[in-house]
Amino acid sequence: MSESEGPGGKWGIAHIHASFNNTLMTVTDQTGAETVAKSSGGTVVKQNRDEASPYAAMQMAEVIAEEVQAAGIDGVHVRVRGPGGNLNKSPGPGAQAAIRALARAGLEIGRIEDVTPIPHDGTRAPKNRRL
Amino acid sequence: MQHVTIPQDRIGVLIGEGGATMRAIEDRAEVRLDIDSGSGSVAVEPVGDPVTGMVAPDVVRAVGRGFSPEQALTLLDDDLRRFELIDIAAATRNQKDLQRQKGRLIGENGRTRELMEELTGAEVVIYGTTVGIIGSPEEVAAVRRGVEMILDGAPHGAVYAYLERKHNELTDGLSLSSNRE
Repeated sequence: MSESEGPGGKWGIAHIHASFNNTLMTVTDQTGAETVAKSSGGTVVKQNRDEASPYAAMQMAEVIAEEVQAAGIDGVHVRVRGPGGNLNKSPGPGAQAAIRALARAGLEIGRIEDVTPIPHDGTRAPKNRRL
Repeated sequence: MQHVTIPQDRIGVLIGEGGATMRAIEDRAEVRLDIDSGSGSVAVEPVGDPVTGMVAPDVVRAVGRGFSPEQALTLLDDDLRRFELIDIAAATRNQKDLQRQKGRLIGENGRTRELMEELTGAEVVIYGTTVGIIGSPEEVAAVRRGVEMILDGAPHGAVYAYLERKHNELTDGLSLSSNRE
């Protein structure tokens, strides 16, 4: 797992945006400027409503882990975010599954950070949804 | 580090006899729990594996919402165990309505709640103003839909029929929940 010798052993950042409708994953270098691999729910499932499912997230994570390791990165810091703003603050169902799958695929997981945008009192929140 | 607030009467459960439960959670999830028994605030600090450290606040929250520590710790058993909370207070008008809806969710002698557990395979706990669910994503989704139906005023029979149908779907595709019986 942690082979820090040779050209490999670089760290990247895995940005995971998990909403209730989709999961978007982008792995970048440490600056966040260069994208190494990216994926979203639609690349692995057919039905729109499955895009946010944990299964989709796991498959995406596997594909991404492969691409990332091919690029010489063997550990990632994780930044998860939910929809945020005046919407839902908690990450969707895909986030946890994605991180677990990344770890299982042999990537080392560094820090996990929640980067959900929190309003410092922004716009009015949508009215309460009826159950 | 994350903070979770749990009700006063669940703090004792979270700590356990002589701190046994607290230590079990700390060991399993590789976190450090800092429990303030005065305010009910629990600080969860990951010290080992960040992946289990991420689930730990959910474990504490589950204990705080009426799950037994054993049930809550199953969240760490595999990747796909999910914990979800449904707030009944948000769907009801006043205290009296809340009481009535809670009664409907629990059912006569707890029948409705038990059926939700048996037919889906998830764990369902109704505590205070929340319904807590622990299970695989499909199980949780099925229970959630059932609870929403009841809160929406559906007759119990319709909900049982829905759960029965879900039960068949869940056991046909992959026999995951059938081994519970």
